[in-house]
Amino acid sequence: MKWSVDLKGTLSPLSILTAFWQKPNTIAYPAVKKETAKGYRGFHTNFLADCIGCANCQDVCMNDAIDMIKTDKEYNAKNASQCIPRIDYGRCCWCSLCTDVCPPDSLKLEGDYLNVTKHASDFLYMPKDK
Amino acid sequence: MENKHITIFHGPQHPGITGNMSIELDLIGETIQKATTHVGYLHRGFEKLIERRTVIQAFTIVCRICVPEPDPNEANFAMAVEELAGLEVTLRAQYIRVMVLELSRLAAQFLWMAGQSGSIGLYAVGQWAIADRDLILDLFEELTGARVYHMYIYPGGVRRDLPEGFLERVSTLLEYMKKRLKDYDDIFINNASFKSRAIGVGIISKEEAIANGYVGQVLRGCGIKADVRKDAPYLVYDELEFEVPTETAGDVYARALVRRAEMDQSIHILEQVVTKMPEGEVMIKMPTHRKFKLPKDDTWVKVESARGEFAYYMAGDGSEKIRRMQVRGPSLVHAYTLLEDLLVGAELSDVALIMNSLGICPPEIER
Repeated sequence: MKWSVDLKGTLSPLSILTAFWQKPNTIAYPAVKKETAKGYRGFHTNFLADCIGCANCQDVCMNDAIDMIKTDKEYNAKNASQCIPRIDYGRCCWCSLCTDVCPPDSLKLEGDYLNVTKHASDFLYMPKDK
Repeated sequence: MENKHITIFHGPQHPGITGNMSIELDLIGETIQKATTHVGYLHRGFEKLIERRTVIQAFTIVCRICVPEPDPNEANFAMAVEELAGLEVTLRAQYIRVMVLELSRLAAQFLWMAGQSGSIGLYAVGQWAIADRDLILDLFEELTGARVYHMYIYPGGVRRDLPEGFLERVSTLLEYMKKRLKDYDDIFINNASFKSRAIGVGIISKEEAIANGYVGQVLRGCGIKADVRKDAPYLVYDELEFEVPTETAGDVYARALVRRAEMDQSIHILEQVVTKMPEGEVMIKMPTHRKFKLPKDDTWVKVESARGEFAYYMAGDGSEKIRRMQVRGPSLVHAYTLLEDLLVGAELSDVALIMNSLGICPPEIER
């Protein structure tokens, strides 16, 4: 049996040892939190003073994740139906088509994306009014 | 009692498998006598789901066909819709699409490097590769609003224009990548351990590759210069300079060298895109999703993904829904015809190594 040693191939991986002096790519989560980029597609927000209850968002949603919920309070005089969207995060895929078709541009996605809960019903999410 | 033949399942829960699929292996000792691919663990019915949705709604599904590299699917879908509907995309949108596709290719190659090195126990390479891929995902997050499923390349253009200073950040990343890839050469590509495991393993001949319709690095690894970006240019690839790297050995190592050379070419393309990026609109005016209808016609479009030719057949019937869409990714033929053939006679420890080198992605098979 013929033996041959690939000297370069054996020694070159040792350059990995220089990584001991390099700054790590990771961050010390949760002590240090990474900010999401501007325009990140996280949870929904809905500026109710502008929402006209047109249900375009419900119509375009391919996952049937949006229900229009009747409210008692009148947020916007133009909202004749007095319905506002509620998102089912068990179905939503964060495609953002709902925000694209919103005529008054009241429905948006924000950077917040963490929702820890014990109750499955909390998946039904009323977007924050902002 | 003699127990000569053993049958084992490699996957679906196995770190060396490239997704939710399994390979049934008949062994004598460590040597594989027969390999049978089993899929069906990941069927989500993309093609059928798309038939039940309007064109615009269907756009959000296609990126899920390939997790490591969703953008070629988005590009294919958008290009097929545009061809059927006769839409003309602006030049800036085309350049942005090329930028997204090349960044995505680079990210997919890093993921391949993580898988390929992990399959032979070089875990440090995998951790580096995942960390460097994350830098590309940071750019995607800024550009598209999402890290993995971008849903960005939209029929009619792209959904958002570039954020301020984005091209500078791309350039900075490319400079970093150029230096960083040399480290990968030292610890992975030129590593004697990798060479001793990869050279002469999983050999595919030129004739076999052509006869069975193999694509991507499998084809280029055995000396055939085939790349959709050169052979049937789409978007603005004909305005950009780049090489199609090839190797002749046809083994796992040759495919690794091709992939590594392609990373350099992607960086070269991205540098040109950053320099040449034109001004203008990124999206043409599109009708609402209920009014957007495809004519009664069909088309066949294809792009070069990080793993090879990726094609879509799309047929419209005059309604707002797609009558039929078929996905033809590289994985179907690679996971059945090729993998089952290559594994016969190979060692059990080489299964993950060979599988990773073929670029198999199960969701493409069970679309």
